[in-house]
Amino acid sequence: MKLNFYYTTFIALLFIGLNSCGGNDSKESLDKEALDPAASLNTNFDGKIFSIPSPVQTAMLIKELKLPFDGNMLNAVENAKNYSTEFSQAINLGIYGTDLGYCALYEQKNNALKYLSVVEKITGELGLEGAFDKNFMSRFEKNSEDQDSMVVIVSDAFRKADYFLKNAKRKSTSSLILAGGWIESMHFACKMSAQSNNTKIAERIGEQQQTLNTMIEILKEYNKSKQNDALISSLTDLKSDFDKIAIEYTYVAPKTDVKNKTTTLQNELKVTISKELLASISEKINAIRESVIK
Amino acid sequence: MKTFVRILLVTLLPFAASSQDCESIVRTCESYLTGKSGSVKFVSDGQVYTAFLDREKAEFKTTFFGGSTYRIAASAGTDDEYVIFTVKDPNGKILFTNSKYKNAPYWDFKVQHTIPVTIETELDLDKKVTGCAVMLIGFKQ
Repeated sequence: MKLNFYYTTFIALLFIGLNSCGGNDSKESLDKEALDPAASLNTNFDGKIFSIPSPVQTAMLIKELKLPFDGNMLNAVENAKNYSTEFSQAINLGIYGTDLGYCALYEQKNNALKYLSVVEKITGELGLEGAFDKNFMSRFEKNSEDQDSMVVIVSDAFRKADYFLKNAKRKSTSSLILAGGWIESMHFACKMSAQSNNTKIAERIGEQQQTLNTMIEILKEYNKSKQNDALISSLTDLKSDFDKIAIEYTYVAPKTDVKNKTTTLQNELKVTISKELLASISEKINAIRESVIK
Repeated sequence: MKTFVRILLVTLLPFAASSQDCESIVRTCESYLTGKSGSVKFVSDGQVYTAFLDREKAEFKTTFFGGSTYRIAASAGTDDEYVIFTVKDPNGKILFTNSKYKNAPYWDFKVQHTIPVTIETELDLDKKVTGCAVMLIGFKQ
């Protein structure tokens, strides 16, 4: 009798452990890996945490500055057929995801749907259908008139994919998606800076110093089979330019509004970047992007 | 045989509990970015920050861009006051810690000028010593 109790408890615990990791609307292929309790536990014990700001923020700045939509900046959807390795699929998923966010922000419905379809294709190839499932597609299509909602929906899907990949011990894939997103947002910023001579965009480029350092660190940390070596080398070369940007930080005490749970950060940050340096950075970003989208 | 089953139970219990914890904690955190009615529109930065904390701190660097409002949400269980998060400036000066505000599970940051920050996360050891902690970052212009 006692033995039966132990067996029943054991099976019940196993069942709880397995069920607890699954998302509500994930597909079976996603669940199988995400449900592995050992994988989840190992991931959580995995020490380092990295953060890359969303590439959508650069696109938002471009729109805020009232710069016109430029479809020529985007990676052609036709290129998607060339991406056959996990490296090229992951990095270009980050690139296409950023393109999709840019189209959504500018309410380019037809372009957005075109990029949505290519994102769907690559996520399928990478086994990320659970994050970009039918629910995501229908939410996106239903909200295709509302740019704010579309951006929220796309970013939520990328967050789901990130969580799935981290749990499935595929952090190298996750980091490549982030790298692709960052490269594409820098490509937008450099193109727009050259076209408009806008100082705010030039400053935004200079403000990426810390993000570039994190990007190099994350690619080194999850460099499966040395697949990131060439990219790390190019980004390290780019870093030599970023290290020349003068950044002057001045502390000013923040103000906190407890009732509204809000703190206003009032610091100053002065970024000085010469035209020559900006041109060199643009050239290097362009070369890095060309090497990954080809 | 009984001993074997006991050992299995003891071994598997933390695995089952931990994996269950993390998944539900992520969902709790997500609700802080969307608001209970789904009315709050913070755009996720596309990442989930998880750490299994055992009397230690997890920290990472990020950049808050000027002109945006950021929301940091953190949770380590259904009781939402387990996590302490602290935001520091490039010189290591504390800009904010939720420990001053009853470990509030989320907080907004209006950013006037861009600032590279370090975010530290730890469990409030008076309440929870070990477990999964989840943090999400959202923003709006």
